[in-house]
Amino acid sequence: MVEKLKDFPCMNVRIRPYGERGYLLDALNDDARLLIERALALEPPTAYEESVPGADNLLLLFVRPPDLSALRAWLDRLEGGASKRKPRTHCLEVPVVYDGPDLKAVAQATGLSEAEVIAIHTAPEYRVRLMGFAPGFPYLDGLDPRLHLDRKTSPRDRIEPGAVAIGGSHAGIYSVASPGGWHLFGRTDLVLFQPEKAKGTPGDPRAIFALAPGDLLKFKQVEG
Amino acid sequence: MEIIEILSTGVGLSIQDRGRSGWRRFGVPPGGSMDRSSAQAANQLLGNRPDAPVLEILMQGAKLRILEDTWVALAGADLGCEQAPWTACAVTAGTVLEFPINRSGLWAYLAVPGGFYADRWFGSASVDLRNGLGVPLQQGRRLTSVAGAPSLSLDRVGRRVLALDQQRDFSKPMQFELLPGPQFDLFTTEARDQLVSARWTVSARSDRTGFRLQGPELAVPESIRSEPVLPGSFQVPGNGQPIVTMGDGPTVGGYAKLAVLREADLDWLAQCRPGTKVSFKWADLF
Repeated sequence: MVEKLKDFPCMNVRIRPYGERGYLLDALNDDARLLIERALALEPPTAYEESVPGADNLLLLFVRPPDLSALRAWLDRLEGGASKRKPRTHCLEVPVVYDGPDLKAVAQATGLSEAEVIAIHTAPEYRVRLMGFAPGFPYLDGLDPRLHLDRKTSPRDRIEPGAVAIGGSHAGIYSVASPGGWHLFGRTDLVLFQPEKAKGTPGDPRAIFALAPGDLLKFKQVEG
Repeated sequence: MEIIEILSTGVGLSIQDRGRSGWRRFGVPPGGSMDRSSAQAANQLLGNRPDAPVLEILMQGAKLRILEDTWVALAGADLGCEQAPWTACAVTAGTVLEFPINRSGLWAYLAVPGGFYADRWFGSASVDLRNGLGVPLQQGRRLTSVAGAPSLSLDRVGRRVLALDQQRDFSKPMQFELLPGPQFDLFTTEARDQLVSARWTVSARSDRTGFRLQGPELAVPESIRSEPVLPGSFQVPGNGQPIVTMGDGPTVGGYAKLAVLREADLDWLAQCRPGTKVSFKWADLF
Protein backbone atom coordinates (compact mmCIF):
# COMPACT_ATOMS: atom_id res chain seq x y z
CA MET A 1 0.00 0.00 0.00
CA VAL A 2 2.84 2.37 0.94
CA GLU A 3 4.55 1.44 -2.31
CA LYS A 4 1.41 2.26 -4.24
CA LEU A 5 1.12 5.74 -2.73
CA LYS A 6 4.70 6.43 -3.72
CA ASP A 7 3.99 5.51 -7.33
CA PHE A 8 0.77 7.50 -7.47
CA PRO A 9 1.45 10.55 -5.29
CA CYS A 10 -1.77 12.29 -6.37
CA MET A 11 -4.12 9.68 -4.92
CA ASN A 12 -4.60 11.65 -1.71
CA VAL A 13 -4.92 15.06 -3.34
CA ARG A 14 -8.18 16.76 -2.40
CA ILE A 15 -10.22 18.51 -5.13
CA ARG A 16 -12.61 21.39 -4.45
CA PRO A 17 -14.52 23.37 -7.07
CA TYR A 18 -13.74 27.12 -7.10
CA GLY A 19 -16.00 29.38 -9.16
CA GLU A 20 -17.55 28.13 -12.38
CA ARG A 21 -14.34 27.16 -14.14
CA GLY A 22 -11.82 26.25 -11.47
CA TYR A 23 -10.69 23.45 -9.16
CA LEU A 24 -8.41 23.86 -6.16
CA LEU A 25 -6.10 20.94 -5.48
CA ASP A 26 -5.25 20.65 -1.78
CA ALA A 27 -3.10 18.36 0.32
CA LEU A 28 -0.25 18.48 -2.17
CA ASN A 29 3.12 17.14 -1.16
CA ASP A 30 6.18 18.20 -3.16
CA ASP A 31 6.12 15.04 -5.29
CA ALA A 32 2.47 15.56 -6.25
CA ARG A 33 3.01 19.25 -6.97
CA LEU A 34 5.95 18.55 -9.27
CA LEU A 35 4.17 15.70 -10.99
CA ILE A 36 1.01 17.73 -11.66
CA GLU A 37 2.94 20.77 -12.94
CA ARG A 38 4.86 18.53 -15.33
CA ALA A 39 1.75 16.75 -16.57
CA LEU A 40 -0.04 20.08 -17.13
CA ALA A 41 2.80 21.17 -19.38
CA LEU A 42 3.00 17.90 -21.33
CA GLU A 43 -0.47 16.30 -21.40
CA PRO A 44 -3.05 18.63 -19.80
CA PRO A 45 -6.67 17.56 -19.29
CA THR A 46 -9.20 18.63 -21.94
CA ALA A 47 -10.05 22.38 -22.11
CA TYR A 48 -7.38 23.24 -19.53
CA GLU A 49 -6.51 26.98 -19.48
CA GLU A 50 -3.93 27.76 -16.80
CA SER A 51 -2.77 26.97 -13.27
CA VAL A 52 -1.91 29.19 -10.31
CA PRO A 53 0.14 27.94 -7.37
CA GLY A 54 -0.82 28.87 -3.80
CA ALA A 55 1.23 28.39 -0.63
CA ASP A 56 -0.41 25.02 0.05
CA ASN A 57 -2.45 24.34 -3.05
CA LEU A 58 -2.79 24.71 -6.81
CA LEU A 59 -5.66 26.21 -8.81
CA LEU A 60 -6.53 24.70 -12.19
CA LEU A 61 -8.62 26.84 -14.53
CA PHE A 62 -10.53 25.50 -17.50
CA VAL A 63 -12.26 27.00 -20.52
CA ARG A 64 -14.90 24.30 -19.98
CA PRO A 65 -14.46 22.54 -16.64
CA PRO A 66 -14.45 18.73 -16.58
CA ASP A 67 -16.58 16.75 -14.11
CA LEU A 68 -14.92 16.29 -10.78
CA SER A 69 -14.72 12.56 -11.46
CA ALA A 70 -12.92 13.11 -14.78
CA LEU A 71 -10.34 15.33 -13.09
CA ARG A 72 -9.98 12.75 -10.30
CA ALA A 73 -9.31 10.08 -12.92
CA TRP A 74 -6.72 12.29 -14.66
CA LEU A 75 -4.90 12.85 -11.36
CA ASP A 76 -5.02 9.19 -10.35
CA ARG A 77 -3.41 8.17 -13.65
CA LEU A 78 -0.31 10.30 -13.03
CA GLU A 79 2.55 8.05 -12.09
CA GLY A 80 5.27 9.18 -9.73
CA GLY A 81 8.21 7.34 -11.28
CA ALA A 82 9.61 10.31 -13.14
CA SER A 83 9.48 12.61 -10.12
CA LYS A 84 12.40 10.77 -8.52
CA ARG A 85 14.68 12.46 -11.04
CA LYS A 86 14.20 15.97 -9.71
CA PRO A 87 16.06 18.52 -11.80
CA ARG A 88 18.52 20.58 -9.78
CA THR A 89 17.25 24.14 -10.14
CA HIS A 90 19.83 26.87 -10.48
CA CYS A 91 20.11 29.08 -7.37
CA LEU A 92 20.05 32.79 -8.18
CA GLU A 93 22.16 35.12 -6.03
CA VAL A 94 20.32 38.36 -5.25
CA PRO A 95 22.53 41.29 -4.16
CA VAL A 96 20.98 43.38 -1.36
CA VAL A 97 21.98 46.69 0.19
CA TYR A 98 20.69 46.32 3.75
CA ASP A 99 19.64 49.91 4.48
CA GLY A 100 15.87 49.38 4.79
CA PRO A 101 13.74 51.50 7.14
CA ASP A 102 12.41 48.54 9.18
CA LEU A 103 15.70 46.77 9.94
CA LYS A 104 16.02 48.44 13.32
CA ALA A 105 12.41 47.79 14.34
CA VAL A 106 12.66 44.12 13.31
CA ALA A 107 15.88 43.78 15.33
CA GLN A 108 14.11 45.27 18.36
CA ALA A 109 10.99 43.14 17.91
CA THR A 110 13.00 39.91 17.65
CA GLY A 111 15.65 40.72 20.28
CA LEU A 112 18.42 40.36 17.70
CA SER A 113 21.06 42.82 16.54
CA GLU A 114 20.74 44.28 13.03
CA ALA A 115 23.81 42.31 11.99
CA GLU A 116 22.17 39.11 13.25
CA VAL A 117 18.96 39.86 11.36
CA ILE A 118 20.98 40.30 8.17
CA ALA A 119 22.95 37.11 8.82
CA ILE A 120 19.73 35.15 9.41
CA HIS A 121 18.13 36.63 6.27
CA THR A 122 21.13 35.84 4.03
CA ALA A 123 21.67 32.30 5.38
CA PRO A 124 18.91 30.17 3.81
CA GLU A 125 18.27 29.03 0.26
CA TYR A 126 14.76 30.29 -0.54
CA ARG A 127 12.24 28.76 -2.94
CA VAL A 128 9.69 30.79 -4.89
CA ARG A 129 6.50 29.14 -3.61
CA LEU A 130 4.08 31.33 -5.50
CA MET A 131 3.92 34.69 -7.26
CA GLY A 132 1.23 37.30 -6.92
CA PHE A 133 0.20 40.48 -5.11
CA ALA A 134 1.71 42.18 -8.19
CA PRO A 135 3.29 40.83 -11.40
CA GLY A 136 6.66 39.25 -10.59
CA PHE A 137 6.33 39.47 -6.79
CA PRO A 138 7.74 36.23 -5.28
CA TYR A 139 6.47 34.70 -2.03
CA LEU A 140 9.62 32.95 -0.79
CA ASP A 141 9.59 29.85 1.42
CA GLY A 142 12.53 29.25 3.71
CA LEU A 143 12.44 32.28 6.00
CA ASP A 144 13.98 31.52 9.42
CA PRO A 145 11.11 31.24 11.97
CA ARG A 146 12.89 33.81 14.16
CA LEU A 147 11.91 36.38 11.51
CA HIS A 148 8.23 35.38 11.20
CA LEU A 149 6.43 38.64 12.05
CA ASP A 150 2.91 39.93 11.48
CA ARG A 151 2.59 42.51 8.76
CA LYS A 152 2.86 46.17 9.76
CA THR A 153 -0.37 47.53 11.24
CA SER A 154 -0.30 50.60 9.00
CA PRO A 155 0.89 49.76 5.48
CA ARG A 156 3.06 52.21 3.51
CA ASP A 157 1.38 54.05 0.63
CA ARG A 158 4.26 53.53 -1.74
CA ILE A 159 7.09 51.02 -1.83
CA GLU A 160 9.63 51.12 -4.65
CA PRO A 161 10.33 48.08 -6.85
CA GLY A 162 13.40 46.19 -5.64
CA ALA A 163 12.51 46.60 -1.94
CA VAL A 164 13.55 43.43 -0.10
CA ALA A 165 11.02 42.58 2.60
CA ILE A 166 9.53 40.01 4.98
CA GLY A 167 5.88 39.39 5.89
CA GLY A 168 4.39 36.53 7.92
CA SER A 169 6.29 33.34 7.14
CA HIS A 170 7.51 34.59 3.76
CA ALA A 171 10.35 36.68 2.41
CA GLY A 172 9.69 38.69 -0.75
CA ILE A 173 10.84 41.40 -3.13
CA TYR A 174 8.53 44.20 -4.34
CA SER A 175 8.28 44.07 -8.13
CA VAL A 176 6.26 47.19 -9.00
CA ALA A 177 5.73 50.47 -7.14
CA SER A 178 2.79 49.77 -4.82
CA PRO A 179 1.41 50.17 -1.32
CA GLY A 180 2.46 47.40 1.05
CA GLY A 181 2.61 46.20 4.65
CA TRP A 182 5.76 44.08 4.73
CA HIS A 183 8.87 44.99 6.76
CA LEU A 184 11.57 46.51 4.55
CA PHE A 185 15.14 45.25 4.99
CA GLY A 186 16.89 46.79 1.99
CA ARG A 187 16.95 47.00 -1.79
CA THR A 188 18.24 45.05 -4.75
CA ASP A 189 18.98 46.22 -8.30
CA LEU A 190 17.63 42.93 -9.66
CA VAL A 191 14.71 43.87 -11.96
CA LEU A 192 11.89 41.42 -11.22
CA PHE A 193 9.40 42.54 -13.87
CA GLN A 194 9.96 44.33 -17.19
CA PRO A 195 6.51 45.31 -18.55
CA GLU A 196 8.00 46.60 -21.83
CA LYS A 197 9.15 43.03 -22.59
CA ALA A 198 5.54 41.87 -22.22
CA LYS A 199 4.45 43.82 -25.32
CA GLY A 200 2.66 41.86 -28.02
CA THR A 201 2.03 38.19 -27.37
CA PRO A 202 5.20 37.06 -25.61
CA GLY A 203 6.13 33.42 -25.25
CA ASP A 204 9.09 33.26 -22.87
CA PRO A 205 8.39 34.30 -19.26
CA ARG A 206 12.14 34.36 -18.54
CA ALA A 207 12.52 37.44 -20.76
CA ILE A 208 9.94 39.30 -18.64
CA PHE A 209 10.32 37.97 -15.09
CA ALA A 210 13.54 37.37 -13.15
CA LEU A 211 11.87 34.54 -11.24
CA ALA A 212 9.31 31.76 -11.71
CA PRO A 213 7.48 29.52 -9.21
CA GLY A 214 9.86 26.77 -8.06
CA ASP A 215 13.05 28.84 -8.51
CA LEU A 216 15.73 28.93 -5.81
CA LEU A 217 17.51 32.07 -4.61
CA LYS A 218 19.85 33.37 -1.92
CA PHE A 219 20.32 36.93 -0.68
CA LYS A 220 23.87 38.33 -0.56
CA GLN A 221 24.81 41.50 1.31
CA VAL A 222 26.59 44.14 -0.81
CA GLU A 223 27.68 47.73 -0.09
CA GLY A 224 25.40 50.55 -1.25
CA MET B 1 -7.63 54.52 -40.20
CA GLU B 2 -7.76 57.34 -37.63
CA ILE B 3 -11.37 57.37 -36.61
CA ILE B 4 -11.83 59.11 -33.23
CA GLU B 5 -10.13 62.05 -31.53
CA ILE B 6 -10.40 62.40 -27.76
CA LEU B 7 -11.65 65.90 -26.94
CA SER B 8 -12.07 65.10 -23.25
CA THR B 9 -11.33 61.92 -21.30
CA GLY B 10 -13.96 62.64 -18.64
CA VAL B 11 -13.77 60.53 -15.48
CA GLY B 12 -11.95 57.66 -17.14
CA LEU B 13 -11.30 56.27 -20.60
CA SER B 14 -9.30 53.21 -21.60
CA ILE B 15 -8.95 50.56 -24.28
CA GLN B 16 -10.13 47.12 -23.13
CA ASP B 17 -10.74 43.66 -24.54
CA ARG B 18 -11.48 40.31 -22.85
CA GLY B 19 -8.19 40.39 -20.92
CA ARG B 20 -5.21 38.05 -20.74
CA SER B 21 -4.86 34.42 -19.83
CA GLY B 22 -1.93 32.20 -18.98
CA TRP B 23 0.02 34.70 -16.85
CA ARG B 24 -1.72 34.51 -13.47
CA ARG B 25 1.00 32.23 -12.11
CA PHE B 26 3.40 35.18 -12.47
CA GLY B 27 0.98 37.49 -10.67
CA VAL B 28 -0.49 39.11 -13.78
CA PRO B 29 -4.25 39.66 -13.28
CA PRO B 30 -6.63 38.66 -16.10
CA GLY B 31 -7.86 42.27 -16.48
CA GLY B 32 -10.24 43.05 -19.33
CA SER B 33 -13.48 45.02 -19.65
CA MET B 34 -15.21 45.49 -16.30
CA ASP B 35 -18.49 44.40 -17.94
CA ARG B 36 -17.46 41.88 -20.55
CA SER B 37 -20.95 41.06 -21.71
CA SER B 38 -21.69 44.70 -22.60
CA ALA B 39 -18.34 45.04 -24.39
CA GLN B 40 -19.19 41.90 -26.33
CA ALA B 41 -22.64 43.29 -27.18
CA ALA B 42 -21.05 46.43 -28.65
CA ASN B 43 -18.82 44.28 -30.83
CA GLN B 44 -21.69 42.03 -31.83
CA LEU B 45 -23.67 45.03 -33.12
CA LEU B 46 -20.92 45.66 -35.68
CA GLY B 47 -20.15 42.05 -36.48
CA ASN B 48 -16.75 42.31 -34.77
CA ARG B 49 -14.97 39.46 -33.01
CA PRO B 50 -16.33 39.31 -29.44
CA ASP B 51 -12.87 40.09 -28.06
CA ALA B 52 -12.09 43.07 -30.35
CA PRO B 53 -10.67 46.07 -28.41
CA VAL B 54 -13.34 48.61 -27.39
CA LEU B 55 -13.26 51.99 -25.68
CA GLU B 56 -14.40 51.75 -22.05
CA ILE B 57 -15.98 54.98 -20.78
CA LEU B 58 -16.35 55.46 -17.02
CA MET B 59 -19.22 57.67 -15.86
CA GLN B 60 -19.63 61.11 -17.33
CA GLY B 61 -17.51 63.73 -19.06
CA ALA B 62 -15.99 62.02 -22.10
CA LYS B 63 -16.20 63.85 -25.43
CA LEU B 64 -15.13 62.26 -28.71
CA ARG B 65 -14.92 63.63 -32.27
CA ILE B 66 -15.57 61.28 -35.19
CA LEU B 67 -12.89 61.83 -37.87
CA GLU B 68 -14.28 59.73 -40.76
CA ASP B 69 -17.72 58.57 -41.89
CA THR B 70 -18.15 55.25 -40.11
CA TRP B 71 -20.29 53.17 -37.75
CA VAL B 72 -20.23 53.31 -33.97
CA ALA B 73 -21.84 50.89 -31.49
CA LEU B 74 -22.64 51.68 -27.85
CA ALA B 75 -23.52 49.26 -25.04
CA GLY B 76 -23.52 49.16 -21.25
CA ALA B 77 -24.07 52.22 -19.05
CA ASP B 78 -26.40 55.01 -20.22
CA LEU B 79 -24.17 58.09 -20.05
CA GLY B 80 -26.60 60.48 -21.72
CA CYS B 81 -25.15 60.22 -25.23
CA GLU B 82 -27.48 61.19 -28.08
CA GLN B 83 -26.90 57.72 -29.52
CA ALA B 84 -28.76 55.27 -27.25
CA PRO B 85 -26.98 52.35 -25.64
CA TRP B 86 -27.42 48.93 -27.27
CA THR B 87 -27.44 50.48 -30.76
CA ALA B 88 -25.07 50.83 -33.69
CA CYS B 89 -25.42 53.89 -35.93
CA ALA B 90 -23.85 55.31 -39.04
CA VAL B 91 -22.07 58.53 -38.04
CA THR B 92 -20.55 61.23 -40.23
CA ALA B 93 -17.12 62.85 -39.97
CA GLY B 94 -17.20 65.80 -37.59
CA THR B 95 -19.89 64.39 -35.29
CA VAL B 96 -19.09 64.92 -31.60
CA LEU B 97 -20.24 62.20 -29.20
CA GLU B 98 -20.75 63.52 -25.68
CA PHE B 99 -21.35 61.56 -22.50
CA PRO B 100 -22.61 64.31 -20.18
CA ILE B 101 -24.58 62.52 -17.45
CA ASN B 102 -24.57 59.21 -15.68
CA ARG B 103 -28.14 57.86 -16.08
CA SER B 104 -27.58 54.20 -15.25
CA GLY B 105 -24.60 51.92 -14.83
CA LEU B 106 -20.93 52.91 -14.64
CA TRP B 107 -19.15 51.68 -17.75
CA ALA B 108 -20.18 52.32 -21.37
CA TYR B 109 -18.54 50.49 -24.26
CA LEU B 110 -17.92 52.03 -27.67
CA ALA B 111 -17.00 49.77 -30.57
CA VAL B 112 -15.82 50.71 -34.07
CA PRO B 113 -15.62 48.48 -37.17
CA GLY B 114 -13.05 45.72 -36.67
CA GLY B 115 -12.21 47.07 -33.19
CA PHE B 116 -9.59 49.63 -32.16
CA TYR B 117 -6.04 49.12 -33.23
CA ALA B 118 -4.05 48.97 -29.99
CA ASP B 119 -0.78 47.78 -28.49
CA ARG B 120 -0.98 44.51 -26.60
CA TRP B 121 0.66 43.33 -23.40
CA PHE B 122 0.64 39.63 -22.60
CA GLY B 123 -1.56 39.16 -25.65
CA SER B 124 -4.28 41.61 -24.58
CA ALA B 125 -5.01 45.24 -25.45
CA SER B 126 -6.48 45.83 -21.97
CA VAL B 127 -4.72 48.68 -20.24
CA ASP B 128 -3.76 47.99 -16.61
CA LEU B 129 -2.11 51.15 -15.30
CA ARG B 130 -1.53 49.82 -11.78
CA ASN B 131 0.72 47.12 -13.20
CA GLY B 132 2.48 49.20 -15.84
CA LEU B 133 0.64 47.70 -18.82
CA GLY B 134 -0.16 50.58 -21.16
CA VAL B 135 -0.40 54.34 -20.82
CA PRO B 136 -3.40 56.55 -20.01
CA LEU B 137 -5.35 58.01 -22.94
CA GLN B 138 -4.86 61.79 -23.12
CA GLN B 139 -6.89 64.60 -24.58
CA GLY B 140 -5.94 65.09 -28.24
CA ARG B 141 -5.07 61.44 -28.80
CA ARG B 142 -6.37 59.93 -32.05
CA LEU B 143 -7.56 56.33 -32.05
CA THR B 144 -7.37 54.04 -35.06
CA SER B 145 -9.89 51.43 -36.16
CA VAL B 146 -8.91 48.15 -37.77
CA ALA B 147 -11.58 48.41 -40.53
CA GLY B 148 -13.39 51.27 -42.27
CA ALA B 149 -16.83 49.68 -42.33
CA PRO B 150 -18.64 46.89 -40.45
CA SER B 151 -18.17 43.41 -41.86
CA LEU B 152 -21.97 42.99 -41.83
CA SER B 153 -24.07 43.86 -44.81
CA LEU B 154 -25.71 47.15 -43.82
CA ASP B 155 -26.81 48.48 -47.22
CA ARG B 156 -29.55 51.08 -46.80
CA VAL B 157 -29.63 50.50 -43.03
CA GLY B 158 -28.71 53.40 -40.77
CA ARG B 159 -29.12 51.77 -37.39
CA ARG B 160 -29.00 48.40 -35.64
CA VAL B 161 -30.51 47.64 -32.23
CA LEU B 162 -29.53 44.79 -29.95
CA ALA B 163 -32.35 42.31 -29.28
CA LEU B 164 -34.38 43.58 -26.32
CA ASP B 165 -33.80 40.47 -24.23
CA GLN B 166 -30.04 41.04 -24.46
CA GLN B 167 -30.20 44.66 -23.29
CA ARG B 168 -29.65 45.23 -19.58
CA ASP B 169 -31.31 47.84 -17.40
CA PHE B 170 -28.76 48.64 -14.71
CA SER B 171 -31.21 50.78 -12.74
CA LYS B 172 -33.18 47.63 -11.92
CA PRO B 173 -32.49 46.25 -8.40
CA MET B 174 -30.55 43.03 -8.64
CA GLN B 175 -30.19 39.89 -6.63
CA PHE B 176 -26.98 38.11 -7.61
CA GLU B 177 -26.26 34.38 -7.45
CA LEU B 178 -23.44 33.05 -5.31
CA LEU B 179 -21.47 29.83 -5.28
CA PRO B 180 -19.82 28.78 -1.99
CA GLY B 181 -16.23 30.07 -1.78
CA PRO B 182 -13.18 27.93 -0.94
CA GLN B 183 -13.38 28.84 2.79
CA PHE B 184 -17.21 28.65 3.05
CA ASP B 185 -16.81 26.00 5.78
CA LEU B 186 -14.63 28.28 7.93
CA PHE B 187 -17.38 30.91 8.28
CA THR B 188 -20.10 30.70 10.91
CA THR B 189 -23.61 29.71 9.88
CA GLU B 190 -24.66 33.20 10.95
CA ALA B 191 -22.14 34.88 8.60
CA ARG B 192 -23.29 32.69 5.70
CA ASP B 193 -26.91 33.60 6.40
CA GLN B 194 -26.16 37.31 6.82
CA LEU B 195 -24.52 37.43 3.40
CA VAL B 196 -27.80 36.44 1.73
CA SER B 197 -30.32 38.00 4.13
CA ALA B 198 -28.83 41.51 4.38
CA ARG B 199 -28.98 44.32 1.86
CA TRP B 200 -25.48 45.51 0.95
CA THR B 201 -24.36 48.90 -0.28
CA VAL B 202 -21.64 49.30 -2.92
CA SER B 203 -18.94 51.45 -1.30
CA ALA B 204 -17.35 54.51 -2.92
CA ARG B 205 -14.00 52.86 -2.16
CA SER B 206 -14.45 50.51 -5.13
CA ASP B 207 -12.24 50.35 -8.21
CA ARG B 208 -11.03 48.06 -10.99
CA THR B 209 -9.32 45.78 -8.44
CA GLY B 210 -12.25 45.29 -6.08
CA PHE B 211 -15.76 46.38 -5.16
CA ARG B 212 -16.25 46.89 -1.42
CA LEU B 213 -19.62 46.17 0.18
CA GLN B 214 -21.01 47.80 3.31
CA GLY B 215 -23.47 46.00 5.55
CA PRO B 216 -23.57 43.97 8.76
CA GLU B 217 -20.18 43.07 10.17
CA LEU B 218 -19.55 39.41 9.33
CA ALA B 219 -17.66 37.22 11.81
CA VAL B 220 -14.25 36.65 10.23
CA PRO B 221 -12.27 33.41 10.42
CA GLU B 222 -8.47 33.36 10.75
CA SER B 223 -6.40 34.51 7.79
CA ILE B 224 -5.34 31.67 5.53
CA ARG B 225 -2.05 30.90 3.80
CA SER B 226 -1.85 32.85 0.52
CA GLU B 227 -3.71 31.10 -2.26
CA PRO B 228 -5.11 31.90 -5.72
CA VAL B 229 -8.03 34.35 -5.94
CA LEU B 230 -10.51 34.47 -8.82
CA PRO B 231 -12.48 37.56 -9.87
CA GLY B 232 -15.90 37.51 -8.25
CA SER B 233 -14.58 36.13 -4.94
CA PHE B 234 -15.95 37.59 -1.70
CA GLN B 235 -12.85 38.09 0.43
CA VAL B 236 -13.64 39.07 4.01
CA PRO B 237 -10.87 41.06 5.75
CA GLY B 238 -10.69 41.90 9.47
CA ASN B 239 -13.44 44.53 9.41
CA GLY B 240 -16.04 41.94 8.31
CA GLN B 241 -16.98 43.90 5.16
CA PRO B 242 -16.63 41.81 1.97
CA ILE B 243 -14.47 42.89 -0.94
CA VAL B 244 -15.50 41.42 -4.30
CA THR B 245 -12.35 40.88 -6.36
CA MET B 246 -12.57 42.41 -9.86
CA GLY B 247 -10.59 41.63 -13.02
CA ASP B 248 -7.60 43.86 -12.21
CA GLY B 249 -7.41 42.56 -8.62
CA PRO B 250 -4.50 40.54 -7.21
CA THR B 251 -4.18 36.91 -8.31
CA VAL B 252 -3.44 35.63 -4.78
CA GLY B 253 -4.59 36.65 -1.33
CA GLY B 254 -4.69 35.66 2.33
CA TYR B 255 -8.25 36.56 3.32
CA ALA B 256 -10.84 33.80 3.63
CA LYS B 257 -13.30 33.69 0.72
CA LEU B 258 -16.90 33.13 1.70
CA ALA B 259 -18.50 33.08 -1.75
CA VAL B 260 -17.94 33.52 -5.49
CA LEU B 261 -20.27 35.34 -7.88
CA ARG B 262 -21.33 33.71 -11.10
CA GLU B 263 -19.26 35.20 -13.94
CA ALA B 264 -22.28 36.71 -15.71
CA ASP B 265 -23.39 38.39 -12.47
CA LEU B 266 -19.93 39.90 -11.92
CA ASP B 267 -20.41 41.91 -15.14
CA TRP B 268 -23.63 43.30 -13.74
CA LEU B 269 -22.20 44.05 -10.28
CA ALA B 270 -19.43 46.05 -12.01
CA GLN B 271 -22.17 48.35 -13.33
CA CYS B 272 -23.51 49.14 -9.81
CA ARG B 273 -22.65 52.66 -8.76
CA PRO B 274 -21.44 53.51 -5.25
CA GLY B 275 -24.51 53.69 -3.03
CA THR B 276 -26.41 51.01 -4.99
CA LYS B 277 -28.18 48.45 -2.79
CA VAL B 278 -27.55 44.86 -3.81
CA SER B 279 -28.55 41.49 -2.39
CA PHE B 280 -27.44 37.92 -2.93
CA LYS B 281 -28.77 34.38 -2.90
CA TRP B 282 -27.01 31.04 -2.87
CA ALA B 283 -27.20 29.31 -6.23
CA ASP B 284 -29.38 26.24 -6.22
CA LEU B 285 -26.72 23.52 -6.26
CA PHE B 286 -27.75 21.02 -3.70
